[in-house]
Amino acid sequence: MNILVTVKKVVDVELNIHIKDGAIVTDGLQYVMNAWDENAVETALQLKEKHKAETTVVSIGGGEDVQKIIRRAYAMGIQKGIMIDDPALVDVDAFVYARVLQKVVERGTYDLILMGKQAQDTDNGQTGIILAELLGLPCVSNVIGIEVKDATHLAVSRVGDFGTEQIDVTLPAVITVDVAINTPRLPQTRGLMMAKKMAIETLNLAKLGTSPEAVGCSAVKSKILEFIAPETRKGGRKFEGDPAAVTAEVVQLLVNEAKAL
Amino acid sequence: MSKILVVADIKQGVLRSSTKELLSKAKALGAETAVVAVGSGIEGLLPALAAAGSDTQYLADDPSLALFSAGPWASCVVDAARQFSADMVWFGFSESGKAMSPRVAARLDAACATDIVDVTFVDGAVEIVRPAITNKVLQRIKILDKKLVAVVRAGAFQAAAEINGTENPVKLSPPEADLRAAIRNIVSDAGADIDLADADIVVSVGRGAKDAAGVALVKSLADELNAGFGSTRAMVDAGFMPHSKQVGQTGKIVAPTLYIAVGISGAIQHLAGMKGSKVILAVNKDPEAPIFNVADYGIVGDLFEVVPILKQEIQKVRQ
Repeated sequence: MNILVTVKKVVDVELNIHIKDGAIVTDGLQYVMNAWDENAVETALQLKEKHKAETTVVSIGGGEDVQKIIRRAYAMGIQKGIMIDDPALVDVDAFVYARVLQKVVERGTYDLILMGKQAQDTDNGQTGIILAELLGLPCVSNVIGIEVKDATHLAVSRVGDFGTEQIDVTLPAVITVDVAINTPRLPQTRGLMMAKKMAIETLNLAKLGTSPEAVGCSAVKSKILEFIAPETRKGGRKFEGDPAAVTAEVVQLLVNEAKAL
Repeated sequence: MSKILVVADIKQGVLRSSTKELLSKAKALGAETAVVAVGSGIEGLLPALAAAGSDTQYLADDPSLALFSAGPWASCVVDAARQFSADMVWFGFSESGKAMSPRVAARLDAACATDIVDVTFVDGAVEIVRPAITNKVLQRIKILDKKLVAVVRAGAFQAAAEINGTENPVKLSPPEADLRAAIRNIVSDAGADIDLADADIVVSVGRGAKDAAGVALVKSLADELNAGFGSTRAMVDAGFMPHSKQVGQTGKIVAPTLYIAVGISGAIQHLAGMKGSKVILAVNKDPEAPIFNVADYGIVGDLFEVVPILKQEIQKVRQ
C-alpha cells in the first residue's frame, strides 16, 4: 500500500494568542505539527507495520518550521517527505490547498491519502473532503478506526450524529482522522538523529506542473478581513462553606436570577 | 432578494431545533427560504418543515437514504440548491453537516465556511464571523464568491417567537448510492440517552468523579434534570465514558441553557466545547480550578457531598 499523509504547520495552541489591529501578533508564536495530522501519521505507521506500506508526508509552506515538521514525521517513522514551497501560496483558502494537493497526488500512485480531520489554526475541516471531490475519490471524514480487508478494501468507522458509522471503502480513497483513532508515538532520540540526515523533496507550483492561476491563488472564494479577540467569559460568584447551605442558595439563584432551571 | 436553503436536521423522525433557528435567521435577513430534508419515511415532516419557516420544502425520501451517507446526501442537497438557485446553503451544527458542506461547496463551486456564528450583508457582500485557533480568536471573513455553503455553530441563531412558512413540497429523485464508501451500519453507542446537541441542560463529569461509582452519581443528577450527560477527554480516555459524549475542542461543542460541570478542572480544550453555554454552574473542590473563571456560579466543595444535595434541592424547586 502506498500512503500519502498531509501534515500542516500550525500555531501552537497551548500558547496565548494576542491580537493587535485586527491581526495576530506573530512575535513569540511557536509552530508545531497539527495535532490531528500527528494522528494521521500514526495511522499510516501502524498500517505500514501491519501490512507493509510506503509512507510519504507532504506539507505546504516553506522555511525551517515546515522542515522541522517533516523531520518529526521522519523521526516517527515516515520514509519520504515533500515540501511545497511557493510564495504564491500565502493567504489562500481550502480550495487552493486542495488543488495543490491534487497535483501532488496525481504525480504519484497513492492508494490512500490520510489527513487530520481539521487543522487547529483554521479549524475548517474542509481541505480533505474537497481534495477527494477534485480527485473523484471516495472520502470518509472523522474516522476513528481503520481495518484492512484486502489490497483494495478497508472497513472504517467514523463518528456521526447517530452513533458510529461503519463504512466499506474501496481504494484509492481519502480518509481524515479524529484524535480518537490512536495515540501518536513520540519520536525517539535515534529517530530524531536519523531524521536530520534524510532528504526533503522541495517543489514549487511550476515543478508540480501548475501555476498560481491554475490553483486559484488569484480567485480565492473568501478572505479574512480581520481577527477579533473573543469576549472572554468572566467568572461569576464562588460559594464556599457548608455544602447544604451554599448548594440550596445556588439552586435558588439558578431558578430566580439566572432563570436556567 | 437572497435565497437561503437550510438543510433540515432530523433525528429519529423528529425535526431538531436548529432548523427553525437557521430559518429564523434567514427570514430576519430578508431572504427567501427553502428547506431540504433527506431520509427515509420523512414525508410526515412536511407540516413541521413549513412551520419552521420555509416556503419551499425539497424532500428526498427514499429507503436507500435510511442511513446517513455523506456522498449521496450531499447530492440531494446539491440538487435542491440548484433547483432553488440558492445563494447560500446552511447546515446546522452536526457531524453530517461537517461531512456534507465541503462536498456541496465543491460540487456547486461555492465558498465554504464552517462553524459560523454570525452572517451579515455588507454593501451587498456576505460577511461571516467564525471562531478559529481552538476558539482563541474570531475571524471576520468576506465571501468573495457568489455562493456560500456554511455550517452554523450551535446556539448562534435564536428561533423567532413567531415564524410562518407555506407548504410547497418538491420531490427530489433519489441519488446514486456511494459504492466506494458504502455505509454498512450505524452502531449507536449512546443508547436512548438524550443527545448533547439537543439538550437544554448538559451535566458533564470530569476526573473529580474518580471511578465508575462517581460517574454514576453524576449521571443520576443528569437523569434528575432530564439533561444530556457529557464528559471530559480524560474520562473518555480512562474508559468511563464513550467518545460520543466528550465535550471539548476535539469532541462535541455544546451551547445549552445550563451547563453543569462536575469535578471538571477546566482545561482549555474542554472550555472550548462549552464556553458558549448561557449559564454555567461548576462544582469543584479546588477553589483555584480554572473552571471557576468561566462559571457564573461556582460551588467549592466535594462533589460526592454536593451532588446528592443538588439533586434534593432541584427536586424541591421542581415540585
